[in-house]
Amino acid sequence: MQEFADAAAVQRCLDEVDYLVDEGLATALFFALRLGQPLLLEGEPGVGKTAAAKALAHALGTPLIRLQCYEGLTVSEALYEWNYQRQLLAIRLAESHQERLTDADLFTEEFLHERPILRAIRYHGPVAPVLLIDEIDRADDEFEALLFEFLGEGSITIPELGTFTATRRPVVILTSNRSRELHDALRRRCLYHWIDFPEPARAAEILRRTVPTASEPLIASTTEFIGGVRRLDLDKAPGMAETIDWVSALSTLGASGLVRSDILRTLVSIAKTPDDRDTMTASLDHLGYGG
Amino acid sequence: MMLRRTDRAAFAVALVSRLRAHGVRVGTTGLADFVRALEAAPPDSRSSLYWTARITLVGRHSELTAFDAVFAAVFDSAAGEPGSHRRSSLDTAPTRGRPDDSHAAWQGRSAGADEPGSGLPWLTLPPATGYSEDSDSPFAVPQRLPSEVAGLADIPFEQLTAAETELLGRWIETALQVWPTRTSRRVAVGASGHRISIRETIGRARRTGWEPIHLVRVKPVERPRRVVMLCDVSQSMQAQAAAYLHLMRALVLVSDAEVFAFATTATRLTTVLAHRSAEVAIEQATSKVVDRFGGTKIATNIQGLLSSLHGGSMRGAVVIIGSDGWDSDSPAELAAAMARLRRRAYRVIWMNPRAAAPDYEPRVATMAAALPYCDAFLPADTFRSLLGVVAEIGRTRGTSPEKRARREFSRPPGADPGALVRVASPK
Repeated sequence: MQEFADAAAVQRCLDEVDYLVDEGLATALFFALRLGQPLLLEGEPGVGKTAAAKALAHALGTPLIRLQCYEGLTVSEALYEWNYQRQLLAIRLAESHQERLTDADLFTEEFLHERPILRAIRYHGPVAPVLLIDEIDRADDEFEALLFEFLGEGSITIPELGTFTATRRPVVILTSNRSRELHDALRRRCLYHWIDFPEPARAAEILRRTVPTASEPLIASTTEFIGGVRRLDLDKAPGMAETIDWVSALSTLGASGLVRSDILRTLVSIAKTPDDRDTMTASLDHLGYGG
Repeated sequence: MMLRRTDRAAFAVALVSRLRAHGVRVGTTGLADFVRALEAAPPDSRSSLYWTARITLVGRHSELTAFDAVFAAVFDSAAGEPGSHRRSSLDTAPTRGRPDDSHAAWQGRSAGADEPGSGLPWLTLPPATGYSEDSDSPFAVPQRLPSEVAGLADIPFEQLTAAETELLGRWIETALQVWPTRTSRRVAVGASGHRISIRETIGRARRTGWEPIHLVRVKPVERPRRVVMLCDVSQSMQAQAAAYLHLMRALVLVSDAEVFAFATTATRLTTVLAHRSAEVAIEQATSKVVDRFGGTKIATNIQGLLSSLHGGSMRGAVVIIGSDGWDSDSPAELAAAMARLRRRAYRVIWMNPRAAAPDYEPRVATMAAALPYCDAFLPADTFRSLLGVVAEIGRTRGTSPEKRARREFSRPPGADPGALVRVASPK
């Protein structure tokens, strides 16, 4: 694996794939790589948690293995599953050949379906893969408990086969929106970083990279506008993802600066409830875009 | 290079013990990670040391403020430099309850010394006495009333002494037996299930020469449904506040409930009320709510909670609001807040101490505005009526979503508030 000397190296490397990180996130990713520990990323929706994992995988030139969490997630969906159909066929085949089958014949790797976590452990590429366990707060306590062995020791145990340990630990990134309080035992095993909404200068820089077609005055005024909107009393304050969508929308309209009529036409990108739409429309005057 | 010739272990332990003293929960694993991180990349500036320490030692967002304070105090050559980054102009959180405000904002001064004093921790096995407040209900199961308690249960809250209130609080706790459930996405083996689990079936087939003879079925697991209670502790609710606190404590102790008290601002009481001792719990709760017996802003508080971190806990929950409906926000605002709450919650139950009067009508404009969005509107002036609320919470069990949709379809919100007074039971 590419060895990073320090956090700044991670920052530069991610910069090359157009993902801008601040010192905090760079340090967090650096230690996740260096210490081989899972990293728990929290933050408001749309702040770039999932994007961080994607960018890291891209920068390292390794696949991103993604596990989307939901309630009721079990071993069969997250770790492994036996290929029962093939097992049954093998049994029939053995019967027709008058052979005797034992457990050891049926529970081999040949009959094993890999699921994301096992796939990450058994990955044989030159660089360890990035495993993204997305929105862990949407899973239930049982699934958290299932993860402990993997997060702590980097291994998983299949009763019929034995324990698989990763030769190179995958880079594990967990994300959470805090819709549920995670268990301390899970937090203990992870490094933790809270991603903040970026400061204006960085937000502008991110927009420049992600929407290359947008003009400089448009980016400057949207950053300022979003800053103002985030101070309003909203149900869902626009995050970075919405801001990027919005600037893309404005730039598609061919806007070179921010004007009231364009804001109203593209408000769908940043206002996600009817109440928010009304609040934003009502405060346009106050934000300097009066009609 | 910072920390030249420093004993890393001693340095880390000193910093961690200071952090622990200020309420940052750092475990041994975190400490070990910190030392390994210091070794892997010796920090060369205050800011790199800050991030190294923060990423390895702090495990939750709520502890970041305490961490920043300790870090600044220890290395205060440039106090607030990395920390100030967190409060950059774009990051100004909206004014009302954003993440963890509910924890940070109310480090209360103690208010009010009129709370329950000594407890009487005894209960005798009673003659079975019927609970028949709402006799047409199919759930009117006889409740066992301790005889001493039975007499007190009908006395309005304002005439009870603190000790009696506490005794009745314990009794409510024992009465909370039936808890609402929801169908989860997790499955377990069950004969009545209608999906076949191949994993289990093949596992069983091992015993029969790999011939799957018994089909093993799985069915969804029932999980306790979350209950969220919001209790009004404003001036007009002074007499009921203590009793409602006891009900909230019972809810928290019995299962997964989130409870909040509000007057002008909302305070999360879930953690303090979970204390083993009722006396301590109520005392802590009282001192935590700094704005009790002030004005009321129901709409603002509901909206605030819905937008906050705890807004997620109301999704699919049974939400109980204990208030007399006097609100200094406008009826339109309350209606908007209740509509939003109604969309998010599974059931909304409003308990109102004034509703017990036989000729009660929701004349308060705000109460009338909120009513169309309530599934049930219950009186709550005595402990016996609180029992009715408890029964109503339990009644949520087994109502299928289809049934609920049908019910809602047949009674569109805003139809006739008057028709909802007393109980709108799901039949």
